[in-house]
Amino acid sequence: MSRAIPGTWGHARILLRKDLVAEWRTKERLSPMVFFVLLVLLVYNFAFELGGAALWEIGPGVLWSSFVFASLFGLQRTFAAESDNDCLDALLAAPVERGALYLAKMVGNVLFLLGVELLTLPLFGLFFNLTAGLYLLPLLVVFLLGSASVASVGTLFAAMTGHSRLREFLLPLLVLPVLIPALISCVAATGVILAAGVPGRNPPLWPAELTVHVGMLGLFAVVFTTLSWMLFDFVIEE
Amino acid sequence: MTRLLYLIVTVTMLSAVGAVFLLAPTEKQMGDVQRIFYFHVASALAAGVAYLLVFVSSVWYLRTRDDRWDRFAGVSAELGVLFSAFVLFSGPLWARPIWGVFWRWEPRLTTMLITFTIYVAYLMVRSYGAPGERTQRFAAVVGIVAFVNVPLVHYSINMWAADQQLHPPKVELAPVMQQTKFLCYFAFACLFALLMRLRLSQEHLAARLQALLRMTAHR
Repeated sequence: MSRAIPGTWGHARILLRKDLVAEWRTKERLSPMVFFVLLVLLVYNFAFELGGAALWEIGPGVLWSSFVFASLFGLQRTFAAESDNDCLDALLAAPVERGALYLAKMVGNVLFLLGVELLTLPLFGLFFNLTAGLYLLPLLVVFLLGSASVASVGTLFAAMTGHSRLREFLLPLLVLPVLIPALISCVAATGVILAAGVPGRNPPLWPAELTVHVGMLGLFAVVFTTLSWMLFDFVIEE
Repeated sequence: MTRLLYLIVTVTMLSAVGAVFLLAPTEKQMGDVQRIFYFHVASALAAGVAYLLVFVSSVWYLRTRDDRWDRFAGVSAELGVLFSAFVLFSGPLWARPIWGVFWRWEPRLTTMLITFTIYVAYLMVRSYGAPGERTQRFAAVVGIVAFVNVPLVHYSINMWAADQQLHPPKVELAPVMQQTKFLCYFAFACLFALLMRLRLSQEHLAARLQALLRMTAHR
């Protein structure tokens, strides 16, 4: 039986599938992350005495800070499963491009983050009296690009800090400052979207102010995915 | 050579301080506080150069795998963090009498602060990683990512705080002020070179010592 040898994308797809199947069977990343977001929302509720009225002001910040903190959890696990049984060495010995490994892990992280965001958004809406509606639809784009931004540098740094004895400290210290431009755009874009939900307003589905923030987010995601992809070879070579 | 640098730094620094306090005229609106400007801008420039050097030497390290470039990157980052810290310290001293507060979340201040934190994280990667080739590679990767991030931080913060542009823009200076400024630049450049030289030779000695220790351990 002869099969075509898959290229970078093919390898990435196989690796991604492996990670998704493992996650589906164990749920060891998604469930703690979702639970963590729930806890952060609780903490914020008491820390800021949030009521419905404050939602437009700090809602986006609450949402994104809980996502970012939860993502640090997930990112830390990116390569943990591979190092447990020296799987990483086997992966590196296999004729697989390093770039494919980065792509698979990065896309995997994007999917996990998206999953967390979509699962916890209803909770957020419930706690903070968000009215459901079509105006929330652009949030999908913000979630996607925001997750891609977090995953782009996050996957690169996770591969580095996996080796370090201080990984729990080091990963947030590296990821958070680099991520700030993306975080600013995420919060601003989410703010524009949530403001459209104020009762009595009838805004367009895609408010014009949104474009600049989403553009910035897209730029961040593209620049850092490309750069991390290029640099990944240097991080993982052993 | 190092002695000569010591001499040059002493002479230029003393004359820079003299020029700032005795020669340069007092600014009409801000008064004496404006004199912080000369040191503030010179250190900001030094920090910028240092960060550029981290980037260039990180790229070069990954290409050549020469330990010297790694040490150069590390020392540059230290100097960048040092001069940034001075910028972040001298800025509020000026801001308090002029703006009434030490700190505003103003684009340039915020950009400087974020850049500072990224390079502190870079130094942590260097110091907490196990010494060796792997940590050097990781540091180089962080050094590259950090530098690419600076313009993005700058643009996004500008957008975020568009209504907060309070930092004085480039201003026309009186000729004497201009000369004082350039003297300060020169003095800081000499200081930069001296510190760089001292730290590099220290690091070089430390690396040689490590190599010797490894050799004796194998016997």
